[in-house]
Amino acid sequence: MSQDSSTAGRPGAAAPPGEPDRDIAEEAARWDRETLAPEVEAHGEREQAFTTQAMKWPIKPVYTPADLDEIGFDYLVDSGFPGEYPYTRGTEADGYRSQLWAMSQVSGFGTGEDSARRWRAMLERGLNGIIIEYDLPTTNGLDSDDPLAEGEVCRAGTAIDSLPDMEAALDIPFDKLKHLTSVCNAPQPINLAMIIAALENKGVDPRSFTLLMPNAILIEYTCVGRYIFPPEAGLRISTDVIEYTIANHSNWVPIAIVSAQLYAARATPVQELAFSFSIAMTYLDAVLERGLTVDQVAPYFSFITGIDMDFFEAIAKLRAYRKIWARLMKDRYGAKTPEALRLKLMGSPGTMSLTLQQPLNNIARLGIQMLACVLGGGGQQMTTPLHDEAHALPSDEATSVGIAVQNIVAHETGAADTVDPLAGSYYVETMTRRMEDEVFAEIERIDALGGALEAIKTGYFQKELAKQQFSRQRELETGDRKLVGVNHLVKPEEERGIEMFKLDEDAESRQIERLRNVRAERDEAKVNECLARVEAAARGTDNLVPPILDAVKAHATHGELCNVLRDVYGTYHPDSLTTGV
Amino acid sequence: MPRTLRVLVAKLGLDAHTIGVTVLARALRDAGMEVIYSGLRQTPEMVANTAIQEDVDVVGLSSLSGAHMKHFPQVVELLAAKGAGEKLVIGGGVIPDEDVSALKEKGMAEIFTMGTDTRDVVKYLDTWWADGDGAP
Amino acid sequence: MKSARALADAALARDILAGARIIRLLDDRDEHGIEALAHLYPSSGRAYVLGVTGPPGAGKSTLVSKLIGALRKRDLTVGVLAIDPTSPFSGGAILGDRVRMQEHATDEGAFIRSMATRGQLGGLSRSTFEASAVLDAMGFDVVLVETVGVGQDELDVVELAHTTVVVSVPGLGDGIQAMKAGILEVGDVHVINKSDLPGADELERQLHVMLETEAHREGAWKPRLLRTVAEKGEGVEELVDGCFAHREHLQATGEDERVAARRAEHFFLEILRDEVSARILAFARGDAAGAALLEDVRARRRDPYAAAAALLDAFEANPQTKR
Repeated sequence: MSQDSSTAGRPGAAAPPGEPDRDIAEEAARWDRETLAPEVEAHGEREQAFTTQAMKWPIKPVYTPADLDEIGFDYLVDSGFPGEYPYTRGTEADGYRSQLWAMSQVSGFGTGEDSARRWRAMLERGLNGIIIEYDLPTTNGLDSDDPLAEGEVCRAGTAIDSLPDMEAALDIPFDKLKHLTSVCNAPQPINLAMIIAALENKGVDPRSFTLLMPNAILIEYTCVGRYIFPPEAGLRISTDVIEYTIANHSNWVPIAIVSAQLYAARATPVQELAFSFSIAMTYLDAVLERGLTVDQVAPYFSFITGIDMDFFEAIAKLRAYRKIWARLMKDRYGAKTPEALRLKLMGSPGTMSLTLQQPLNNIARLGIQMLACVLGGGGQQMTTPLHDEAHALPSDEATSVGIAVQNIVAHETGAADTVDPLAGSYYVETMTRRMEDEVFAEIERIDALGGALEAIKTGYFQKELAKQQFSRQRELETGDRKLVGVNHLVKPEEERGIEMFKLDEDAESRQIERLRNVRAERDEAKVNECLARVEAAARGTDNLVPPILDAVKAHATHGELCNVLRDVYGTYHPDSLTTGV
Repeated sequence: MPRTLRVLVAKLGLDAHTIGVTVLARALRDAGMEVIYSGLRQTPEMVANTAIQEDVDVVGLSSLSGAHMKHFPQVVELLAAKGAGEKLVIGGGVIPDEDVSALKEKGMAEIFTMGTDTRDVVKYLDTWWADGDGAP
Repeated sequence: MKSARALADAALARDILAGARIIRLLDDRDEHGIEALAHLYPSSGRAYVLGVTGPPGAGKSTLVSKLIGALRKRDLTVGVLAIDPTSPFSGGAILGDRVRMQEHATDEGAFIRSMATRGQLGGLSRSTFEASAVLDAMGFDVVLVETVGVGQDELDVVELAHTTVVVSVPGLGDGIQAMKAGILEVGDVHVINKSDLPGADELERQLHVMLETEAHREGAWKPRLLRTVAEKGEGVEELVDGCFAHREHLQATGEDERVAARRAEHFFLEILRDEVSARILAFARGDAAGAALLEDVRARRRDPYAAAAALLDAFEANPQTKR
């Protein structure tokens, strides 16, 4: 192996003057032969072949400058400096030295009041970002009294039926809030409108915080499946939100592509990045068609990623993430301003690595992943999932531990004190480059299929993910990959004695009662008139957000508004091909 | 002629996480079973009717949203009411221990929580089938 | 378990549970199922059997779902048989066609059954004829059969159906060249689905030319060529009308009797072939002469034809084989 690499030459790059690297390559080959080989001969190795966890890239016993030489690594081209193109080393020149990342947590359950109570406590405990999780009826665009919603209301998130619900939910100290994230892909214009209307009624300045909207519905068709309308309609609705926000709330972020969702659906890092960027470019193209320029629009795009347990794969992913975005914006779209080239990213330890078994072990996992997030530069806002998440909604105790994990990494490790500290690691740089090359190759493959929309409609993404899902499961079952508590150090009759969050079982009926009161008290004629205007916009090309804003102010409900859109666009039913099953 | 085990794999309610059913469907197929998949957002009524029309031996329910206590027992009740109470109903998803015993009391044969080895599900079904419980 | 007779009686009263069970027993080649079919068979032959075939990705399941809706609106009850392939490696199958049809799952007038091919080639499953007869005897007005759709020659459906709908779709490679010529020739009604996609006009032109150049007998049915966008429900009513026009043509010309005779013959011969070969093979396995003949073939003392002839002679001469 080393023999080969030492004679492989340097593709595409002239040998640097003095050829010092060449000596290292020869020395590395000698070391391999004389020092390593006898050791391996004597003791063997733990594994038949060492590979990275998701990509299955072979891992060499040691990396040296010869590896960088072999890939033609050029510091100024590949890394550069923090805050400068290609942003491999970070989008901020001083990393986390002037300011730590904003610390957020995902939360939402029960009625608006229930969630607000938890969110107030979270902000009191030092968080400055809230990521709102809505319940499934809300994300599916159903009112709480819809027969399909039975049993799901207030459960996996907070229930929002009408403006009074959003007002109750946003009963929080806005002076402590930096980032608000509204996780609702399919009906995002409705949630956006409700947030705007609630802020107006409360007299809160919308410029005082950043509202981040995971508004990239296309990702839902590849995995998780929280879509309502066909993909083309979903694209149009999202694009309206982007256009409206750029025009009216220039400090907000109207599209966050949740690549973490792909990661959780077992996408490899290469798939996660390539699929997400292809989806992002589909949106970008749609917005550009409305007459804006890439330098105006690209700064409004953001991404949310999940970090897995393979420490170095994770760090390489974060570094490649920034570099590829910058290259795509510059080379493909001709973006010129730094704002357009700088990736906006929110990193988070991944939920997929958390186990139901021995849940306290998850705290260790979260700590390690959080460290990877900081070392790789996981963005200006970060969050952690919580160690009991595999069981149920996070408990109060788990929320505190999650905040502590972020603070421990921030204040006790020194990881945030210098920028991109793992740059220059022969291993990390080699992997970052390979990540970059393979992501570009995958993006080109998707281009050849006709782009993200086509890849969704033909089931390409779904099939590729299904393959990964199956092989990742196999790996655990055969023991090829060890997971503590699941297939390694298993406790047979394990009692999972941790504090569990208990949902108030009456929340659903209370929510339905309020919904009925709202319907009884509003001006029905005005609601109908507003809904008719939403329908007209949906059938035509006017932006959907303004008429929806009027409608929510008249207390039209979430489900009613979605039904108007359903009537216009129809609903989406994938076939077996496009579900991945 | 050996009989082929038929299994309906169904997502109940609004939760749309399909990794569990995707992986399980493939594992059961590879174990020689016929797996019927009926898609997302199924109601208990749809699942019960589908199970009967398809004359499956086993109904596998999946829910990750926490609504399992409401939905799973409804399927068991509907099947019994429609004269198909002999079908084996199993469940999977994010299900706390205390709910597992409650669900079993309500007629669910077995609950497989997150992280279950698909081979354990295959083994469980094969054993049940070989014991003759599934004979019509 | 209920007796075969009781199951059959219940099925005749359109008991879904019983009908579903009989189909299962037949698919498993269970004697009870065969006995139940004996009771049901005299009551079959009334349903209108509609076959839907076409290449993968043509949107057949969506189209079938819309057909169910359109037929139900005309107050017709519908039984559906949706075929998917059995894995040759494991013998298992993933049957996902009904994902697209679940809006009908709670409709008492629609019965949807997924079937795995279980080794059968030709686009249908091993017991689609049997299952169709059961649904027919149960009194479903229409039996819709959706073929496997893996792109092989799926012609068996022609033997089963009164009307065969061939679905094609724009953009599948090199126009109709990508479709097996055999399938195109058997269509009574041709549908260009997803006809809002680019290439639909070109496909229509190609199909038109192909249908026009086919030899046309005086008074014979002239295949119709229609366009649908099944996803949006467009063209579905016209498709139903087209199918029923073909049915009326069959009835008016007495062709429907020929369809029935052809189906009976095919059904009978298929089963005869299965039964004969099963019986002879069982004899060959159980008889010492069979093993000796096999050894002769292996040692090249006898060629396979001569060995087969010798075995059949032994089979005919053996009084045990006369049931």
